[in-house]
Amino acid sequence: MKTNLASWRDEWGYHLLLLIAVFLMLWPIVFMLSTSLKDLNQVFESTLNPLPFPPTFDNYTNVLENFPLLTYIWNTFYIAIIVTLSKALTSVLAAFGFVYYDFKYKETIFNGMLLTFFIPITVLIMPNYLLMAKLGLLDTPYGVMLPSLVDGMGVFLMRQTMRGIPKPLLEAAILDGATPWQILRKVVLPLIKPSVLAISILFFINSWNEYFWPLLILQDKSNLTLPLALQMFISAEGGSEWGVAMAVATLTSLPPLVLYGFCQKFIINTFMQAGVKG
Amino acid sequence: MSNVENNNEYSIIFSGVKKAYGKTVVIENLNLEIKKGERLILLGPSGCGKTTTLRMIAGFEEITSGDLFMDGEQVNDLPPGERNIAMVFQSYALFPHMTVWENITFGLQLQKLPKDEIAKRAKEAMEILHLEGYENKKTHELSGGQKQRVALCRALVKQSPYFLLDEPLSNLDAKLRQKARTELVKLHEMFKPTMVYVTHDQIEAMTVAHRIAVMNQGRIQQIDTPYNIYHHPANTFVAGFIGSPAMNILEAQVLNKCLVIGQSAVKLPQSLREQIAAREKVYFGLRPEACTPAFGDAMIKGKVDFVENTGNLQTATLRLADGASLYVQDSHQDAHLEECTGVDFAWENVCLFDAETGVNLELGGK
Repeated sequence: MKTNLASWRDEWGYHLLLLIAVFLMLWPIVFMLSTSLKDLNQVFESTLNPLPFPPTFDNYTNVLENFPLLTYIWNTFYIAIIVTLSKALTSVLAAFGFVYYDFKYKETIFNGMLLTFFIPITVLIMPNYLLMAKLGLLDTPYGVMLPSLVDGMGVFLMRQTMRGIPKPLLEAAILDGATPWQILRKVVLPLIKPSVLAISILFFINSWNEYFWPLLILQDKSNLTLPLALQMFISAEGGSEWGVAMAVATLTSLPPLVLYGFCQKFIINTFMQAGVKG
Repeated sequence: MSNVENNNEYSIIFSGVKKAYGKTVVIENLNLEIKKGERLILLGPSGCGKTTTLRMIAGFEEITSGDLFMDGEQVNDLPPGERNIAMVFQSYALFPHMTVWENITFGLQLQKLPKDEIAKRAKEAMEILHLEGYENKKTHELSGGQKQRVALCRALVKQSPYFLLDEPLSNLDAKLRQKARTELVKLHEMFKPTMVYVTHDQIEAMTVAHRIAVMNQGRIQQIDTPYNIYHHPANTFVAGFIGSPAMNILEAQVLNKCLVIGQSAVKLPQSLREQIAAREKVYFGLRPEACTPAFGDAMIKGKVDFVENTGNLQTATLRLADGASLYVQDSHQDAHLEECTGVDFAWENVCLFDAETGVNLELGGK
């Protein structure tokens, strides 16, 4: 009897637990999707029923017609793409230095950089905000970008990936007279391309979804990013526009979701490498 | 030193080179002269410093003190890319994201050679190494033997005067290794670069080398031709390292014109008596194949522990009266080695070593 119970637990028990966890995580997304397809009456009559009946696309037409969605998409994209490119570039260059060069205090500098992971964002917000104010970058996209042009986690992940490249490959290139730049471009980068792509996507998604920092910096409506624009439907401006808000939310979360879907394999591999070899 | 620098016969010269990692000294005082166009093999057990020596030539390891000359020029601080060296790595180090052709021409393209010159060199080298038709294959599509040839090919197209090989055959199976060995020697005969080859495989060393440098604990124990290394080992380390099974090295007491080996007294020939008389003890070295199995009265008596038959050879392990063991090798398949009662030998096959330093006294064999 016991063994039966144990085997049931092994076969179904863990799956059941995982299913519950998946449900809990997916529920808000299901809720968002279904609400975006309901009209206002349905939203209040059957709040927890995930099936909109009949489904309506009015919210989406409403958003696309009356809402400067393209401006917000562009604002968000502009910031996300520059932050992503900058973080990817600096991560690869810094990791290359940490892996292939020997210099004084290398480990200390690297450990110092790791320490930055553990500084809570709330501690950084004040000084960063004051700095942006002094630089006159408040209410500009540059004020949003500047503090996030470099990423310690990115350097760490790239370093782990580069350490996985066998040393003789680089020595062979060195013997052939390759300069460090040629080694990076012709040997290292092609080999770590999947990982660079993976962290770039993570950087992009993170920047796309960022809420708190842009909220502090951006004020003018025409400068807002998508997560901030979303806020307009839920707070002061129209507390009851749930359907429209959810339609905007769905549209906002689409690009990161699609990106992740395409590149899931690379992303998981990159973290596995960091875990196994770190 | 200046006359050494100008000596054209030597193309790579280590002069009092020391290599240390922090406080750990890996190579103490290396003096080695490698002749132009020769095949020099660095042979030794793991951790003996042979790979470090090779990597110092390549420029991958800094020299702690002393001087390294290449073609008369001191190169201690010359970066690897400027030493004009071709190298074959143990793991082949082929770029996995490139095709065979791209791998082979990578170095030439970096040198910015004209396109037709690159194509000519690459085609020639690929023809010599039978790699035609593989140009567009990725390296993961190749077998071990093919990868090894691509690595050789990549080194060959550089037409460099120095050819360094770091255990290039150790990832191949026995049969391929033999074939690759022959090809390697032929290739060297064609272009005659100065070849420095690291291995721990003594068969490879014996068959490929003009000269072998046997290393142990960061020191060169002996540097000589394969013949001399085998027949006149400089000390007990070399004697014990070369040959399979290795040379029998037995403790021998000197007593009244006799050597006592495992409680068997063997009369010393006239020529040796005076030279050894002053000593109490020596090491007696005899190759297993120089032992003639005796059935009846034997010079060194012993009992057979067991016999191994490898098809063309029989190897018997004899237990001597003092417990030491002695290997005997015999090519006569009809000999019943298990019945043998000891061994006979000829004095010209014997090496005698100093009991304290292990140095060959060069008395027995010469």
